[in-house]
Amino acid sequence: MRHRTRLSMLALGLTASLAASAAGVRSPSMLANTCAGCHGTNGASAGEQMPSIGGMDNGYLFSVLSDYKTGVRRSTIMGRIMKGYSDQEIWAIAAFFAEQPWVSTDRVALAGPIHVGRDIHERQCESCHEDGGREQNDDSPHMAGQWSGYLRYALEECRAIGRRCSPRKMGLRVMDLSDEEIEALARFYESEK
Amino acid sequence: MTDVQRRTFLKSSAVALGATMLGVSFRASAAAPKARVLVVGGGFGGTIAAKYLRMADPAIRVTLIEKDSAFLSCAMSNEVLSGERDLKDLTFGYRGLARRGIAVVQDEIREIDPAGHFVRGASGSRYNYDKLVLSPGVSFRWDAIEGLSEEVAERFPHAWKAGPQTTKLRQQLLAMEDGGVFIIVAPPNPFRCPPGPYERAAQVAHYFQRHKPKSKILILDAKDAFSKQGLFQAGWKEHYGEMIEWVSGAAGGIVEAIDPKTGTLIGQVEEFQGQVINPIPPQKAGTLAESAGLTDASGWCPVDQRTFASARHPDIHVIGDACIAGAMPKSGYAANSQGKVCAAAIVAALNGAAAPEPSYVNTCYSLIAPEHGISVAGVYALEGDRIVDIEGAGGLSPSDADARTRAVEARFAHDWFRNITADMFT
Ligand SMILES: Cc1cc2nc3c(=O)[nH]c(=O)nc-3n(C[C@H](O)[C@H](O)[C@H](O)COP(=O)(O)OP(=O)(O)OC[C@H]3O[C@@H](n4cnc5c(N)ncnc54)[C@H](O)[C@@H]3O)c2cc1C
Ligand code: HEC
Ligand code: HEC
Repeated sequence: MRHRTRLSMLALGLTASLAASAAGVRSPSMLANTCAGCHGTNGASAGEQMPSIGGMDNGYLFSVLSDYKTGVRRSTIMGRIMKGYSDQEIWAIAAFFAEQPWVSTDRVALAGPIHVGRDIHERQCESCHEDGGREQNDDSPHMAGQWSGYLRYALEECRAIGRRCSPRKMGLRVMDLSDEEIEALARFYESEK
Repeated sequence: MTDVQRRTFLKSSAVALGATMLGVSFRASAAAPKARVLVVGGGFGGTIAAKYLRMADPAIRVTLIEKDSAFLSCAMSNEVLSGERDLKDLTFGYRGLARRGIAVVQDEIREIDPAGHFVRGASGSRYNYDKLVLSPGVSFRWDAIEGLSEEVAERFPHAWKAGPQTTKLRQQLLAMEDGGVFIIVAPPNPFRCPPGPYERAAQVAHYFQRHKPKSKILILDAKDAFSKQGLFQAGWKEHYGEMIEWVSGAAGGIVEAIDPKTGTLIGQVEEFQGQVINPIPPQKAGTLAESAGLTDASGWCPVDQRTFASARHPDIHVIGDACIAGAMPKSGYAANSQGKVCAAAIVAALNGAAAPEPSYVNTCYSLIAPEHGISVAGVYALEGDRIVDIEGAGGLSPSDADARTRAVEARFAHDWFRNITADMFT
């Protein structure tokens, strides 16, 4: 896995340094509660294009938030926000959201697109996003039950930059998807609670 | 808390004369609460302070006192003026907060007794507190523009508090003939929602473009610069050509008086006439904060920016538009963020701990057209005794973003509204 070694070493160092200091340190909840105005209380989003983040994997959150900060991951606003936090703080934020329960959307599924979406998923995406996007780790996000609005946006972003999308193997597949296929995939993951 | 105090409290909140409990009734827990915190004002700041106090320490009894039976959001109310939205979509009830165990009471607080640690409502009820949080929003400086008054504003609406004023302005815009001039008088700093007047111009232009394309919009500004100026001016031009004209203070935009009969605006250099007049008065902290002696010469409330404790009375905290919060603007997002910092500080104090190190964020989205959103963000820390911008973070949407990105931001703006109101009311 891409980040795993780097992450766990970093995690150890950071946890130690967090425990050692107290005064002047901003607590995980203090830092993370500022995100709720956009992502919902404890990271459970009320929709549609704004992603739920509570309950995602610690390591995944850390790497994504760091990638926003450095600009490796493109964004409309997350880059501007994450530049306000140190690596230690980003780790604390990631740990806070990882501890929250994942809340799936309550949206009722549409049978047609879901069928098409599952088919593409099984052929092209399942190898990395196992168990219908339920399986998550420090390298891949929780997608089952995510808002389709966000998934559609993320896939359109990935398609727009094609082979520059990370990981490249995914970019190469997403590049060739039609609007309808993206919509079907988004609806499929959303329906997998 | 002594038994006598508790009994008084229970009596005053439950048997409140004429005061109604909003939403689901709460059950008083058998165990004595650790402390009583009263939150006055159920808007962007107050709802959040109440909810996050409850979430952090359920042993604290939290009472939220709001004068209205439901909350009407100013944020997104410019979309009501363009017809993109209905006021109903901006109306929120307090049941969700009551379900969290917050006692929600409808009453208008008229008097604060800091020494006695109680407040009194228009209903006659008295409410005791150990800590008081005020988030009353703004009030208007009616004396700043000669001829303007609350009464005159019935005919020339400010629509700077959402509700009947918003509806009135919308009706006037609907009734206006094509070719008319709509004038916005934009207030001096600091005021509620720095990008608001300019978003309003865009939203009304969006309506005019489809229904009254020969009309014009004139913004008479007390200032020489405004929030997201470059992005607004480029967006106005892109969508509405020359329809919107902005007159800076230096160029004669400062309005000194209004003729209450005709609505003629008297500027420093010339007079202006329009068919629909929208004077947004200069502002100060909400009336309650002022009458309780919590304001300084500026008209706003000085606070300890770590805890939002009033510089005048340490057991009273002031958050949201009413307070002086360093580099933070007066916005709903800022009030939300301050409500959380304030709640954490109160929980720490009531549990004998030191005030925590604060973290604050602000974001303001603005909608120039249905498919054109822009944003400004700020991430803040406390430095010494002042809230400061963290350098390198925050800032504006890029000026060269493509149409697709603008459309994506417009959708994120609507989702921001969904989430911040869910954070407040569920
Ligand atoms: C046109 C417009 C557009 C805006 N758009 C945005 C936006 O897109 N994003 C953003 O972040 N902000 C926006 N804002 C700003 C935002 O509305 C305010 O900054 C925010 O409401 C401030 O929160 P507050 O808690 O201080 O006051 P409010 O939200 O106004 O809450 C105050 C509450 O206190 C109650 N109250 C007052 N006095 C008493 C009393 N004595 N007793 C009992 N109750 C009392 C009031 O009824 C009210 O419910 C906009 C404002 C306007 C006017
Ligand atoms: C102003 C609104 C806003 C705020 C505040 C905000 N976010 Fe975001 N977040 C977004 C948007 C919009 C996206 C989509 C990416 C983009 O365009 O910026 C996003 C994307 C994300 C993602 C990616 C989700 C995924 O599935 O990969 C994570 C994680 C995230 N945000 C975490 C946070 C955290 C943690 C904070 C607080 C420190 C935060 N956000 C604050 C708006 C916000
Ligand atoms: C080679 C492994 C791999 C394949 C194949 C793959 N993905 Fe991914 N996917 C990833 C990884 C890794 C990430 C996390 C990217 C990051 O860290 O920024 C990801 C992220 C995502 C995201 C979230 C992106 C965001 O910005 O939040 C979506 C949605 C997604 N994948 C969908 C798909 C779909 C649909 C397919 C099949 C067409 C697919 N993936 C194929 C590995 C893969």
